[in-house]
Amino acid sequence: MTDIAATAPIAPKKRRRLSLNATLVVGIVLTIGFLVVALVSFFWLPSNPNIPVIKNRMLPPFLPDHWLGTDGLGRDIVAQLMVGARTSILVGAGGATVSLILGTITGLIAAAYGKLADETISRGADIMLSIPGMVTALVLAATMGSGALTTIFALTAFFTPSFTRVIRSAAMSVLQEDFITSAKLYGRGKLFILARHVIPNIAGVMIVQFTLYFAAGILTEAGLSYLGVGVTRPSISWGMMLNEAQQTVGISSPLAIWPGLAIVLVVLGLNLLGDGLRDVLDPKLKRRS
Amino acid sequence: MAIYALRKLAFFLGAVFVASLAIFLLIRGAGGNVAAIVLGKDATADAINALAHTYGLDRPLPVQYFDWIVNMLHGDLGQSFRTKESVADLVTARLSVSIPLALSGLILGLIIAIPVGTYAARNVGKPSGAVLALISQIGIAVPVFWAGILLSVLFGVKLGWLPTGGWIDWDESPVGAIRSLVLPVLSLGLIMAAVLIRYVRSAVLDVMNQDYVRTARAVGMTRTQALLQVGLRNAALPIVTIVGLQIAELIGGTVIIEMVFSLPGLSRMILANVAAREVIVVQSTVMLIIVFVIFVNFVVDLLYGVLDPRIRNAA
Repeated sequence: MTDIAATAPIAPKKRRRLSLNATLVVGIVLTIGFLVVALVSFFWLPSNPNIPVIKNRMLPPFLPDHWLGTDGLGRDIVAQLMVGARTSILVGAGGATVSLILGTITGLIAAAYGKLADETISRGADIMLSIPGMVTALVLAATMGSGALTTIFALTAFFTPSFTRVIRSAAMSVLQEDFITSAKLYGRGKLFILARHVIPNIAGVMIVQFTLYFAAGILTEAGLSYLGVGVTRPSISWGMMLNEAQQTVGISSPLAIWPGLAIVLVVLGLNLLGDGLRDVLDPKLKRRS
Repeated sequence: MAIYALRKLAFFLGAVFVASLAIFLLIRGAGGNVAAIVLGKDATADAINALAHTYGLDRPLPVQYFDWIVNMLHGDLGQSFRTKESVADLVTARLSVSIPLALSGLILGLIIAIPVGTYAARNVGKPSGAVLALISQIGIAVPVFWAGILLSVLFGVKLGWLPTGGWIDWDESPVGAIRSLVLPVLSLGLIMAAVLIRYVRSAVLDVMNQDYVRTARAVGMTRTQALLQVGLRNAALPIVTIVGLQIAELIGGTVIIEMVFSLPGLSRMILANVAAREVIVVQSTVMLIIVFVIFVNFVVDLLYGVLDPRIRNAA
């Protein structure tokens, strides 16, 4: 038997660093690919993804004009996937951004402005976290009407309390540092300390959380659009494409493969990027992957 | 323990109150003139007013809210405008689909996640552990409805073993009911497992590095013995919490999976009633689901206090 005390601390460290790099690299590659596809869609599309071309209905994949074939109305799949990437970014990043801003504000207030503020905000976040998001989103879509804005609003409602919690605990640990005490003794105000000392020190946490919730937002948006309460045409969503494939041509067609694959690759990429960034930006936090 | 339980109870009641207020405002505040929408374009003003009056929709919102809460506390969840069916009946009829689906999905998820997560934690740094971590990462990225679609293509269309969707009622044929639930449960369970594996893995990893496990190893237990006899109870704490937090996720997954496999469960009922503007039905059903989730979290909190004396005393 080998001596555990002597070998254990060294061996895992080496391996960890290796797998960390692979995670980050794969995450970056997938994410950049995703962003590039969305960007290109603004300048070039194989054909209009919303105009039916009846003579081209249900073309098989791997044709020169239609790389992944066409759907039941003759619309090009690649063009739809490309425009769908835009929706994913708009809704996923939109939801994550608004939640990040609201979560940072509430989290910082909870961390820095006394016990009453902390209790109110933390308990409020707990309550919001225990409300099932999908059900609320259905209700929201019914009352506000479906669309990208409603979906962003719904995502903000689910994600903000999680951001609040994470930002609060990260800010609290920064606020205990000695340099905060010296800034206070120097006469700096609370707002100055938060803006100048706390936010830069929790920026890593904020970036990581943003990446992970960007991914979660894409998944949720796809689910809502699949249910028919997310975005609607002329916007295109990968979840909506899966719904249409199931409704019109049956699940066994290749149409039910591509959008799902796109979701998996993009969400996987963002999650790997988030985990990789966490190890780089925030070595104190333990890896959870 | 009593003080801890009381605090948790107070939180439970507060959460239910806030949630009820939010649901009511969301549905009623943005709902427009409900009676007019229910009766359609050709309705006369008299008919609209009569309907609004029958259901008390013409009263001020605070009165309606108060009335709704008092009625619910007496077990009266209201009724549908059109069919006059009571919400309680509507909901109970759907539970024979939704509850077995959600519960089996969660159990399947745990049955997969606990051994696999433990194995992944014990093999951290080895190729097998890395492969499991990667599989779980991919599983998390798979939308639950796509998993459902793929499984029904494989087992329903290609192999023809199981129905691709639809529902046979328990009364008609219990075997048929189970057959129509297999693929939905499998999709839900696999996706739940992917999420849970990560948490189980990190919970077991945390425990494995604790002093008491090292002590147990020092007095001669094997790694497995130490983990099972000393570590498991401690790893159970975070896992119980995660299960509580995942309940909301589980319900979201159930909603979508019911749509994928056209199961006549709660979520299809909610969607249909949302479309028909049956505000009372939607409002009460959604409230029931939310109360259930908050209640599960309340029980999880209590359990947490029972399992770990440090938590109930610190609170």
